[in-house]
Amino acid sequence: MKNANHLDEIQELNLAYLLLAQRLLNDDRAAAMFRLKIDGETADLLLSLGAAQLTRLARTNQLLCHFGFEGAEQLRQVVDNPRDNGLSQFHASLLMAGRGAISMSRGV
Amino acid sequence: MTQKSLVEEMQQVQLAIELIELGARLQVLETETDLSRARLIRLFKEVRGMSPPKGMLPFSTDWFITWLPNVHASLFYNIYRNLLEEQKCERMQAFVTAYRLYGEQVGIDQAEPVLALTRAWTLVRFFESDLLQLSACTHCSGHFVTHAHTPDHDYVCGICMPPSRAGKTRKRREREAAEIEQEAALVKCAG
Repeated sequence: MKNANHLDEIQELNLAYLLLAQRLLNDDRAAAMFRLKIDGETADLLLSLGAAQLTRLARTNQLLCHFGFEGAEQLRQVVDNPRDNGLSQFHASLLMAGRGAISMSRGV
Repeated sequence: MTQKSLVEEMQQVQLAIELIELGARLQVLETETDLSRARLIRLFKEVRGMSPPKGMLPFSTDWFITWLPNVHASLFYNIYRNLLEEQKCERMQAFVTAYRLYGEQVGIDQAEPVLALTRAWTLVRFFESDLLQLSACTHCSGHFVTHAHTPDHDYVCGICMPPSRAGKTRKRREREAAEIEQEAALVKCAG
């Protein structure tokens, strides 16, 4: 019984996520792509989807949106920093903003 | 042939207004738009209701390495670089969007916007002339602003390993003292 509840919640969250993504992209495309961590092609595709397609996409047993941190080590550093100076939200934001940055490390 | 198209000029004015609203100094506008100085000054007065401040821009890279500015500058630059390189945004669009996104996070934290727009712009220029680099923290793998050519194979950032007195400003000490006093007063009342 509990399991069915989870499934409903996942599908609701999926749909809410897709609708939010569309609204964000309509409002400010560049900022939205940054927030969602998606590329231009995905952005265009997402925007072109109609209500029926979104509902179908949402109906799975897995989440469409993914975790923002790269692994446990990063997460631990944010939530469990022994020298926290009240900057943990800033830290989280910075680490997520730097995602995908490995491929563009400076060429010095 | 040097006649500028009207649309192009409109876009430049739009960009200038946006930058002025976000707090840009005149030097930023002069560098990033083709509008004349006289027009920019007029625009500045209309948008902000005062004359643009005079004087030189801060020109030292050291400020960006000090503790709190470094955290703010690094957050901004991570966002900017993501927009520029991952999202392929045009340079000034990436800059303005990144500055707004940085401001959002500052607002969420109810922190001071340590990095003013003109500072953010100087930061970008310093990177463009290879005076600064990003170093990966060996603890959190976040990217932080450091001087160019700093050896960084064992770099640890200012959040993972803050200097001992970091963040202990007078303002914060006073606030903490006030909180303790308040608590003491409450205990007294209860007792």
